[in-house]
Amino acid sequence: MLRFQSYDIVFQEVPNEVTLAINLANCPNGCKGCHSPHLQQDTGEWLTESALDSLLAAYGGAVTCICFMGGDADPREVDRLARYVRAMSGSKLKTAWYSGKSRFPDSCALSSFDYLKLGPYVEQLGGLRSPTTNQRFYRIDNGQLTDCTGLFTKQQSATR
Amino acid sequence: METFIIKRDGKREAFSLDKIKNAIRKAFLSVGSFATDDIVTNILCRVNITDGVTVEEIQNQVEVALMAERYYAVAKSFMLYRQKHLEDREVRDKLAFLMDYCDAQNAASGSKYDSNANVENKNMATLIGELPKSNFIRLNRRMLTDRLKEMYGKEVSDRYISLLNNHFIYKNDETSLSNYCASITMYPWLIGGTTSVGGNSKAPTNLKSFCGGFINMVFIVSSMLSGACATPEFLMYMNYFIGLEYGEDYYLDADKVVDLSKKQRTLDKVITDYFEQIVYSINQPTGARNFQAVFWNISYYDRYYFESLFEHFIFPNGSKPHWESVSWLQRRFMKWFNLERTKSILTFPVETMALLSENGEVKDKEYGDFTAEMYAEGHSFFTYMSDNADSLSSCCRLRNEITDNGFSYTLGAGGVSTGSKSVLTINLNRCIQDSARKGQHYLFFLEEVVDLVHKVQIAYNENLKYMLDKGMLPLFDAGYINMSRQYLTIGVNGLVEAAEFLGIAITDNPSYAEFVQQVLGLIEAYNKKYRTKELMFNCEMIPAENVGVKHAKWDKQDGYTVKRDCYNSYFYVVEDEATNIIDKFRLHGRKYIEHLTGGSALHMNLDEHLSKAQYQKLLRVAIQEGCNYFTFNIPNTVCNSCGHIDKHNLKECPVCKSHDLDYLTRIIGYMKRVSNFSESRQKEAAKRHYAAVSEL
Repeated sequence: MLRFQSYDIVFQEVPNEVTLAINLANCPNGCKGCHSPHLQQDTGEWLTESALDSLLAAYGGAVTCICFMGGDADPREVDRLARYVRAMSGSKLKTAWYSGKSRFPDSCALSSFDYLKLGPYVEQLGGLRSPTTNQRFYRIDNGQLTDCTGLFTKQQSATR
Repeated sequence: METFIIKRDGKREAFSLDKIKNAIRKAFLSVGSFATDDIVTNILCRVNITDGVTVEEIQNQVEVALMAERYYAVAKSFMLYRQKHLEDREVRDKLAFLMDYCDAQNAASGSKYDSNANVENKNMATLIGELPKSNFIRLNRRMLTDRLKEMYGKEVSDRYISLLNNHFIYKNDETSLSNYCASITMYPWLIGGTTSVGGNSKAPTNLKSFCGGFINMVFIVSSMLSGACATPEFLMYMNYFIGLEYGEDYYLDADKVVDLSKKQRTLDKVITDYFEQIVYSINQPTGARNFQAVFWNISYYDRYYFESLFEHFIFPNGSKPHWESVSWLQRRFMKWFNLERTKSILTFPVETMALLSENGEVKDKEYGDFTAEMYAEGHSFFTYMSDNADSLSSCCRLRNEITDNGFSYTLGAGGVSTGSKSVLTINLNRCIQDSARKGQHYLFFLEEVVDLVHKVQIAYNENLKYMLDKGMLPLFDAGYINMSRQYLTIGVNGLVEAAEFLGIAITDNPSYAEFVQQVLGLIEAYNKKYRTKELMFNCEMIPAENVGVKHAKWDKQDGYTVKRDCYNSYFYVVEDEATNIIDKFRLHGRKYIEHLTGGSALHMNLDEHLSKAQYQKLLRVAIQEGCNYFTFNIPNTVCNSCGHIDKHNLKECPVCKSHDLDYLTRIIGYMKRVSNFSESRQKEAAKRHYAAVSEL
């Protein structure tokens, strides 16, 4: 089971989508320079199906995508919930996962997600907007990964 | 126990009998008489000094005592002496204000009475505008209370002043004599020029005279209004004159060289040069308005709105508005203006895009996409959406019902002529907290206040009619605006704060929705009750950049619960980070704005621009939630070192790397430098929560 500490409507994490980001707790990665170290603690509300139901009831019609932020302690549960979101929304909602691992876990199916971010945060290399970043952002179509990390660095040159 | 008296400056001072004695002796000497000790004692016997009495009260008692002892000449001399000193003190106060103003950080902080002045700099002209403001307030109050007494009796008039002085209500724009704001029809000008409103120009006959004349006309109209002047037909008329010269389908070949001078300008350049002339002229400080720029608004329409508003419209040459070319001109103006704003800080026009929705989508898909595109390109404007073209918002904030879509040969298109005659605002936070103090249910007290503000507005309307009868309001006589189509506006402020006080969470929840509907529903019920053929009321959540600060300050001073320095102008708490973007649309959605007939624009503060696809989705969210009026507000950066203007919210100038930056943000509809706000408003701007770009 996963816990979540907060949620928000975000625009930059998944390009061109209006995203409900769910901040999952108990992050095992412990990246140096982590911007939200509170997410390393195992606190917050349980992300049960009924918790997800109420989030979807409140925001499901207004967003285009649900993004799981973290959850690397229980990847199979993230995968399951992503499929749950798909099912509940009749595949209207896209799903995204921001994972801090470098590899997509074998226990999960790529087809559960439309977007995927992989890679821990390395202070010297920077996040997705940094041109030297180690992190990767993918679009997934029919189980195929397309690297779209460039959208973030482009966004940066366009906005900065 | 020593007795203290209170001096004029509020300080306490030990009471001195000798000072009164001296004053009495001087008064006798001034009429060539002499006060013996006995006389002084007799007079003093009639004066009652208690602890905490004011100098003014003592002098009043001395006056009465002199008359009671039958020293009438001395009493008269004493009164005249007091009056002279009163006048001296007034001049001294004005002088002190003048000095303070000269020292103030900027024009808004220096302004004592009405600090949302859209003035960039303080100077002699702005000072000249400030000085008579207190006199206008007294004059306006007197005119209104005289009328109230005549119509409803002294009790109502006294009650008005009492509620005003105790800050339960606030009379907006009391420093100006003219009616508030108007969305005008330019048809009378198109037919007859400016002579009917006191100008000397004839009707425009070509593109050049249209553009020049338009600027003059806007200045004339604005000098007779205290607020905004909206010209919803501006682009449609301009399009007509371009068509007269270059043909109705001019837009199909805008790159053609049409200027045969050495400049060899294309038609597109000719048109944008006219945009430049008009926009830069109207953004100039205006002498007749105390150096404030004219507050100018324009509208854009999608095809369906346009057709509904102008389907019966006929130009003087018998032709009808031509949608395809108007549409091209609307887009051209928006694109041009967006780009021009990176070159210069241009506050006006405030623009509103009117879109019709159907089945959860923008009905005119092309315009919905274009709207999203313009937001994504960083342009800052309002969007008004309705599922029925029976209402419009053309006055940057005021929504109005379109009562007449017809066309008349004297007034043109009826639907665009509207506005607000006067705004009178209820401080809900104080009303509700005060009821709690007195142990009564707030609805009882609120109902009394709501009834009274309607009576005051009706009295105001009578005064306006008096002015009209005397020929003082040519905008009405000439048909630019119409008495029966202008609203009397009941403003509300402190709604969120009142709910917080009652322990209601400021989120989308049933008790907050019920509270909002109850309070605003009460006002709407009275709006309907007092409505007649010539009286229309609406209710607006006022954009309280000035009043919100005052209410917070006054309420705090008087011991009410006040959580912030400026009361919210929204249905949510501006600084609350837990309220996300969808929540904000929802809190400005149908459940909450239902009774807000005069409207309230949601200012969606974002810290970065979104993509076109994201804005398209948010337009659908707005339709879904029933949020009919909104804008996206992304602070633009202005470099104070090199002057570079950037559409983005930056910490460092991308050109010269300077950190001496200022930000442009939207304030009651128009873009303004943060450093031109009054001090307290700058604090509020700093606290605003701009939805975060998380760095995950």
